[in-house]
Amino acid sequence: MIGKCLGAQRCRKIHRTLRRCKVTVFCFVLTVVVLRGTIGAGKFGTPEQDFVEIRDHFYFRRRAGTHRVLEEVQTTSSDNEVASDTNAETNNYNDFELNKVLVDEESDDSKLDPDKPYSLGPKISDWDKQRSEWLKENPDYPNFIGPNKPRVLLVTGSSPKPCENPVGDHYLLKSTKNKIDYCRLHGIEIFYNMALLDAEMAGFWAKLPLIRTVLLSHPDVEFLWWMDSDAMFTDMAFEIPWERYKDSNLVMHGWNERVYDQKNWIGLNTGSFLLRNGQWALDLLDAWAPMGPKGKIRDEAGKVLTRELKNRPVFEADDQSAMVYLLATQREQWGDKVYLEHAYYLHGYWGLLVDRYEVMIETYHPGLGDHRWPLVTHFVGCKPCGKLGNYPVERCLKQMDRAFNFGDNQILQIYGFTQKSLASRRVKKVRNGSRNPIEVKDVLRSLHPAFKAVKVSSS
Amino acid sequence: MGQDNFAPQKRSSTGGGGGLPTIRNEAGAGGRDRGFPSMPRGRQMHKTFNNIKITILCGFVTILVLRGTIGVGNLGSSEAEAINQNLIEETNRILAEIRSDSDPTDPDESPETELNPNVTYTLGPKITDWDQQRKVWLSKNPEFPNFVNGKARILLVTGSPPNPCDNAIGDHYLLKAIKNKIDYCRLHGIEIVYNMAHLDKELAGYWAKLPLIRRLMLSHPELEWIWWMDSDAFFTDMVFEIPLYKYEKYNLVIHGYPDLLFEQKSWIALNTGSFLFRNCQWSLDLLDAWAPMGPKGPIREEAGRILTANLKGRPAFEADDQSALIYLLLSQKDQWMDKVFIENQYYLHGYWAGLVDRYEEMMEKYHPGLGDERWPFVTHFVGCKPCGSYGDYSVERCLRSMQRAFNFADNQVLKLYGFRHRGLLGPNIKRIRNETAIPLEIVDQLDIRRSVHGKTESKS
Repeated sequence: MIGKCLGAQRCRKIHRTLRRCKVTVFCFVLTVVVLRGTIGAGKFGTPEQDFVEIRDHFYFRRRAGTHRVLEEVQTTSSDNEVASDTNAETNNYNDFELNKVLVDEESDDSKLDPDKPYSLGPKISDWDKQRSEWLKENPDYPNFIGPNKPRVLLVTGSSPKPCENPVGDHYLLKSTKNKIDYCRLHGIEIFYNMALLDAEMAGFWAKLPLIRTVLLSHPDVEFLWWMDSDAMFTDMAFEIPWERYKDSNLVMHGWNERVYDQKNWIGLNTGSFLLRNGQWALDLLDAWAPMGPKGKIRDEAGKVLTRELKNRPVFEADDQSAMVYLLATQREQWGDKVYLEHAYYLHGYWGLLVDRYEVMIETYHPGLGDHRWPLVTHFVGCKPCGKLGNYPVERCLKQMDRAFNFGDNQILQIYGFTQKSLASRRVKKVRNGSRNPIEVKDVLRSLHPAFKAVKVSSS
Repeated sequence: MGQDNFAPQKRSSTGGGGGLPTIRNEAGAGGRDRGFPSMPRGRQMHKTFNNIKITILCGFVTILVLRGTIGVGNLGSSEAEAINQNLIEETNRILAEIRSDSDPTDPDESPETELNPNVTYTLGPKITDWDQQRKVWLSKNPEFPNFVNGKARILLVTGSPPNPCDNAIGDHYLLKAIKNKIDYCRLHGIEIVYNMAHLDKELAGYWAKLPLIRRLMLSHPELEWIWWMDSDAFFTDMVFEIPLYKYEKYNLVIHGYPDLLFEQKSWIALNTGSFLFRNCQWSLDLLDAWAPMGPKGPIREEAGRILTANLKGRPAFEADDQSALIYLLLSQKDQWMDKVFIENQYYLHGYWAGLVDRYEEMMEKYHPGLGDERWPFVTHFVGCKPCGSYGDYSVERCLRSMQRAFNFADNQVLKLYGFRHRGLLGPNIKRIRNETAIPLEIVDQLDIRRSVHGKTESKS
């Protein structure tokens, strides 16, 4: 074509030049590619990185569809190719997706009548009488295991599904061990719930049907102690002053003026409270429950609560705000049996406490239960099991470790060890073993406190 | 006529066009002896080929250059995904830090001294009169008897490492396992100690139970029995109670088979995943005799070789507590065996593979309280290792089975409250009994605790 314009001789010259250029360009390109493959060229990367990136891109696309923010990303050094079914026949736990396995085999055949008002169960009006008759007939299961010591059942729980946060289950495990330790020292039994008893009362409301069921199935339990899964015991020696509550049926951490006068939505805390087993408790649960059923009722109730309570943000009704509202509006009915305790930290907001642990260790000692050595450190807002909490992940998890160690130290010291530091997982011996362990008096006294003594039968 | 002229050219040119697609010298363009009219055709084909080559090369170079500047990854990704990626990286960094074994600051830490192999390792100062000391303590402290309501006081001991598992599933099943143990122990009046500390850095891993058991025995003289249970063992019979009356003359109760032990010297003749130790001098002596193969390093390696040589079927790896106990009981039979009860009438330890598939059959035919192959007491998931990265079995099979065992046991607990699981795999439950205004009648029938009664006294 060009030849027609310029003439045959010129044309041939141009063709020759072109051909040489082609060869030159081709060699240049080859050089660049080879160099890149061996040395790399900064942000241009190497072909291996390309491959890895492209693979990750497709893999990430597939995972992103599950809308999970925190999930395990496959380490790129693993030599598994991206299989379409990572569950099949693998011995590697990192490849496994558990939620594919945990599937209900039977369908939900319970029908919800939308017109029927929600109720926790059939109305019982003579529970006190039923219970006292039962206790009389069953003297081997008394409701008081000591003169001032009622039988207490600590109730806590978590979801039956794995946490969305990969380390959430580890922190639940530590929190459970912490509760086991406190309860063993104080003669308290534990009920760890992993079942959703009522699908309508899911989320923070799930405790209500659970509490009712437990109260009715355990008539020998005098006090039910509900404790959130994100709360830890940090004073292993403190015993609840039971005589103080002999005329009360509900003990929560809070302040009278903040609840009744200010109607502050955090005037009390329902993450850790004591409820006496009786008719009063059943009535309270029935009065508390109506704001709970999920859906329209809960959303509407949420709006009412935000309007009526001080400082409450806008979200669906939660059990704590509903309790504040209930007490503030029906004080005459409930107030005289409710004790809002703030002399010790039946619930201790973690933000105010966790930075002071070292100071506490230096200055004070266990058994105080208050701001000097808190009974409970409650990690409100951290949500270690969920996707995102209200606080930065790093601060929450590190502080939970510290609180756990702070409590665990007190147990280990009884056995002659201590944590190396609040941030460490290692322990060291502080007391050598002895040939006469019986004579190490302090040790045995801490492990055998008076409130755990068994009544010797007089035969 | 003109067309006839061209036809032979076409044919020959296709023949010539299939020639070598290489860059040829113009001088040699007429490599094949063709007639002049066919030459332009062949050259045209070559030219087209060259052009295509150049086009492809240019395209390739363009892509490389573009990739270097713009990048392929940005095609279609939005800002939200970029934020997600950042969050994930941040979380992974935190997780890696949490999972790592490193401690942040240890300025006073003396360098770890190597254990002197010439000095025999001991669990603690030698005690020779523990029975006497214990008796004295019990008589001085009648309010802490070793028998409560006619039952000997038992402490269940279990534990797991202080670090998070290599994967989240492991921690989730540790949590389910401890809930399972809490349930059984609440129903049977047993206390639990859950250990998450390495009390002795020499005896880490499966050996960690030895110093722990010793320490607990000495700190709790009121305990009659200490029951060690592995973290991967689940209670599957919530009603069955250990028949302690059978063991009045014995100090160690362990699941196993005497013929496997004495005749075949098999390394799995006994299982140390679930056993009971009486709190007495004999147990302290046995622990002292058991411990020497444990200290990590050359001692444990060497001991491993001895065990592999002497026990049937044992693979080559460092000494583990189970093989060491078997070896000890075989080599010092006369000293120890008279106080050891090898139990196989019920599943104090039940190997999971033969049990988990039969749960439905068990639910149809039998009932809780049997403890044996009809309704196993304990289902022990040996080899599954959910806390690590790799187990000896397929992960799917292990996790399905663990979930089934958990639900199977949980059904027995939920029965009192009127619920059961919907199938053995799923997390959800359903009501099996209508609620009533007179709940206590049912409580009387169903509460598992009410099977044992008795008086409180101290027995030596």
